[in-house]
Parts: sequence; C-alpha cells; structure tokens
Amino acid sequence: MIWEVFRQEKPGEYHTHCGNVHAPDADMAKLFAEVQHGRRKPTNSLWVVPQREVGEVDAEEATFGGSTDKSYRWAMTYNRVDESFAEEVADSQREQETADREREEVTSGGSA
Amino acid sequence: MSAIDHLSGPADLEEDERQAVETLLYRLADDEFVLAERYTEWQVRSPTLESDLALSNIAQDELGHARLWYDLLEDFGYEEADLIWERDPADFRHATLVELPFEGGDWADAIVRSYLYDEAEHLRLEALEESSYPRIVDRVGKVQAEERYHREHATNWLERLAETDEGRARLQTALDRVFPHALTLFEAVDPDVERRIDEYGIRTRSLEDMGEQWLETVVPFLESLGLEVPLSSDRTVTAEDLPSHVGRDGSHTDDWFDLHDDFTHTYRELGRDSADRIMPDPDDQ
Repeated sequence: MIWEVFRQEKPGEYHTHCGNVHAPDADMAKLFAEVQHGRRKPTNSLWVVPQREVGEVDAEEATFGGSTDKSYRWAMTYNRVDESFAEEVADSQREQETADREREEVTSGGSA
Repeated sequence: MSAIDHLSGPADLEEDERQAVETLLYRLADDEFVLAERYTEWQVRSPTLESDLALSNIAQDELGHARLWYDLLEDFGYEEADLIWERDPADFRHATLVELPFEGGDWADAIVRSYLYDEAEHLRLEALEESSYPRIVDRVGKVQAEERYHREHATNWLERLAETDEGRARLQTALDRVFPHALTLFEAVDPDVERRIDEYGIRTRSLEDMGEQWLETVVPFLESLGLEVPLSSDRTVTAEDLPSHVGRDGSHTDDWFDLHDDFTHTYRELGRDSADRIMPDPDDQ
C-alpha cells in the first residue's frame, strides 16, 4: 500500500508533498516516512496519507479558472497608481502580476 | 535527587575509578559499534526499500552512539586506531548477541535481535542519566533521543511478523537462536570492576537488577505474541541458560573474529597506522 508524504519544515508553514512510502499500515508508514523523508531535511512535521484517500481533479476534467475572460479578478486596476505610497499595494500588485503570468504560462503551455 | 558524589574529570581520576569508567565505556561503545557493523550487512538486502532505509538509519544511529562513547575513551589518551582498528579482537567487550551473523536473509533475526537489544539499551541508558561521571551524563540524552525510534521499529515489526503462523515460526526460530546471547548483555566484564562501577555511582543500577527488569519486560511481551522464551520456567537466569561464549569477558564466537578481520581488512591492506577524522569532535558540536 502506498502512502503519500507531506513535509512541513517549520511550524506554521504548509505541508508540502515530498514523495511516498510503501507500508502495510499507518503506523509503519509513519515510521518509514520519518526516516525516508524527514532525516535529511529540516522537518517539523510529516503528514502521511493513504494514496487512495487523496482526491484528485485534473485539467482534463476541469477548466481551472474558467474559460472566459475574468481578468477583473486580478487587481490590475491599480496598475497606474503610484505604488510608492503604499508598500502593501505594491506587494499585492506584484503578487497578482506574477500569478497572472504563471497562469498564462500554464494555459498557453497546456494548449500548445 | 540523591547526593551523588561526582567523579572528577578524566585527567584526575584515581586508577580504580578510571578502570571502572573505561570498562563501562567499552561495554557501551563496543556493543553499539559491532551491532552497527552487523546491521549494515542488511543494506540493499532488506525486504523492501523502506525497511532497508529504516535499518540502515538505525545502523548509522548506533555508529553515532559508538562514536560518542569511544570519544570519551579518547579522553584517556587512546586514539581511534587503538580503540578499533588495531585493537586485539579478544579485547572487545561487546555481548555476543551483537556479533552473531544473521542467518541468510532472515529478517526475523534482525527484528528479534534489535528488540532484545534495544530494550536492554533503554534500561542501561536510564541507569546513566544520573551517573556520577559528568562526561557520560552530558551525552546520554543525545543517545536516548534516537533510541525511541529503534524500539518502536522493532516492536512494530515484531507485532506484524507474529500475525501469521509462518511469521511466528520464523520469530521463534530466531528467538531460540539469539535469546541465550541476549542474556550476555547483562554479564560482567569483570565482577570486581562491575561492582566498583555501581559503587562509584557511574551506573545507578546494577547489571543484575537491569537484567531482571529486562526479563520482566521482554518475556511477557514475547509471550503475548505467541512466542516461547527459551528460559527455565521460573525465569531465573542460570549458567545453563548462557551460551559458551559471553563476549563481555573477552570470550567470543568464531564469527566475531571473522567480522573483525573483515572490517579491519582495508585498514591493514592500506598499511594505515591511524584513522582520518572526517567529523568534528563531539565536544565541539
């Protein structure tokens, strides 16, 4: 049986998928994961999840983000604002721009 | 806390005290080192990738512990070559449990052995938590932190192997073979020195006492798994229960001399007279 393993480096951070282990049950899976995924990198916590319990929806069945133009979701209307007046706005804008760019790359990459 | 009469540092010990400290350290270090050597034989041979990594990791832990204890022997002027590579194999003080080869591919042997060893290790580390020798006390916690995994690993495996008739039969065969050797974990290197180790408070529990406690732990657990412990019915250890070689006193099985020959082979072949240090001294870490 395969168990997916998620590692959290520091308290408060997300658990990030880092691989899997083969084990007959949850206890052994945790024991193996501890060594296999927690011994060489800084680890605060591991989640060990039976692979068959992981729900998946992928790009074949779903249109992530929809197929019509919804660019109003991205707070780009602040583009012409002088960002120096508020760090927070500037950060947010950069974040949105990055996300938008990445989204475009994924979309165009997928259809090419 | 009892008023412990603390021993001095390594440079200021009386001869008797020094012999007692050294003897205790050899018991600890040699057990860990030789067991790690044997565990390493499972590398790339364990039943699954996961069990391979787990046991290899345990072997690395044991080597780390051996290093901590050998390093305390270096306080007395020994070098690594004296302690390991050039030491007469008949001077090693480990229990014969750790030197036995594994029966070809018998994972049950590795698990049974590990269980018997780690339960004993747990007790003897507890008996060092308040040792009168501060250099030992400083390092016990570090070792204990890694031992939890070892016991959990062995116990979990035992429980699972015991679930089927075939698994249980394999465990029983391994138990019959290694149990007498596990008893040697509590045997004396030299009864007088062992008495002094207790008297000086270097160890806060005698071998006899720990041996009894160990039996009270492992016998009921093994029986609960449907195994029969090869020991006289009243659970007392007599000379008859012990194997003909007990290790601690310098008497070893032939397998030990072969193993020693193996792991010192490269050192001899390269004509070395000292060992390179690739890691910082534990005191500087």
